[in-house]
Amino acid sequence: MVERSQKEVWKITPWVMLLLLLGNFALMAFDAREANSRQRVIRVWAQTSADFVQSPVTFISSAVTNYFSSISSMRTAQSENDALKQRVQELEVEVQNSKSLAFENERLKSLLELKSETAYRFLPAQIIGRDTSAWFDTSIINRGSLDGVKLNMPIVTNGGLVGRVTAVSPLTAQVSLITKDKSGLGAVIGALGTSNALGVVSGTGKREILEMGYVPGSVEVNVGESVYTTGQDGIYPAGLKLGEVAEVRAGSASEALKIFIQPSAKLSSMQEVAVLIYEPPARPEFDKSLPNANKKK
Amino acid sequence: MEHVKITTALIVAVLLQWTLRNVAEPLAFIDFPLIIVVYAALQGSSIRALFYGTAAGIATDALSYGLLGANGFSKTLVAFVVAEIVRRVYVDNLLLRIPVIAGACLLDDLVYYGMHRLLGQEPTGEFVTTLAYTVIGTTIAGTIIYLLLDSFFAENVKNRRREVFTARRQTRRRNPIRLGNRR
Repeated sequence: MVERSQKEVWKITPWVMLLLLLGNFALMAFDAREANSRQRVIRVWAQTSADFVQSPVTFISSAVTNYFSSISSMRTAQSENDALKQRVQELEVEVQNSKSLAFENERLKSLLELKSETAYRFLPAQIIGRDTSAWFDTSIINRGSLDGVKLNMPIVTNGGLVGRVTAVSPLTAQVSLITKDKSGLGAVIGALGTSNALGVVSGTGKREILEMGYVPGSVEVNVGESVYTTGQDGIYPAGLKLGEVAEVRAGSASEALKIFIQPSAKLSSMQEVAVLIYEPPARPEFDKSLPNANKKK
Repeated sequence: MEHVKITTALIVAVLLQWTLRNVAEPLAFIDFPLIIVVYAALQGSSIRALFYGTAAGIATDALSYGLLGANGFSKTLVAFVVAEIVRRVYVDNLLLRIPVIAGACLLDDLVYYGMHRLLGQEPTGEFVTTLAYTVIGTTIAGTIIYLLLDSFFAENVKNRRREVFTARRQTRRRNPIRLGNRR
């Protein structure tokens, strides 16, 4: 091995730095240009290898947290038990009612010759990691392409829509939240088909609030109304709950309303999510040929 | 042996960066790989610090939504700047290291943010808040980690100080009083 003097080392250091900076810059330029098409192989490899570290750490940390939270919850267990017993009795009555309603529903459906079918399949997943940079806010789940996860598949919780898959490796997938600044999706306030309050919901960068724009100022919107996806964005299916209207800033006949929505999914504390196995219907490709160009026969 | 120890510390730092945010959100504001890269630069091994910066940065970027190479770029630059400072100024003291790690974190974040803006990518985090929290978190964590690392590298620290401050020449003076007594 060649021994270099300190002076020689200091001489070559700037050149080494320049070389490394150029390499990093090339990587960045490549990554930025191709961001919306296919993924980088290096990302897929890194995500796959990180899964072997992230999964055990998440398992251990959640086990420790659960242990301590179970100890603290023992104190309130007795009073909760009494309240739950009462609630069970109430629910039993409700279940009886809903059973009769379900029976009635089946009967009416059969009358209308409608087939009952589940629209989408859910794949339960656990959040095993978060974005390594404080500047971004994505999550990593323990389901990947081997489980059938694909790019842009919606992620939901029992509360509602969480986001979509933005990168997939064989064992893991990266999830971008709906609260991300540049995210946007078609939404409607109230029931799709009957409501005129259609607009675009976009992220604000804050986890507690979403913003909805392009809703005509003439439409009446009330605080507390539910907001659902319309499916017109070509990514999310129609009918997924986004949240509830938290604030409405009045517009006019010519000015759109500014609506703030509180997401119904608990984005700050979620640990369990589900991947919606949904692929949007293929859109017809636009004819890119020039109208006056000679077409090959 | 020292290189092995720093490399091990760097690997641990990357693993912590990958996992700790899922345990507690505020830990996202501590840049563990940067702390080790700056420590390597403080040891005076400039070229090694540059490579550590690139490797740790790309490993961090691979699991981030940000641009691949942005952290590598900023950490390499930071490693070079810190190595240049170490060459010119004596910073082998915990109190002097605090502004160095704070400055390094500030530079790292500014370059990272700037590169994203330059290439048309908008980071989600609010600029001032994220910058402030990261600088505070990384500085506090860095100071504690440096104390720990110095205890691991105690022998190297002693050797380095011996190189910087050459031992004072020991001259023996005759005692005039004793000489007087002889008479």
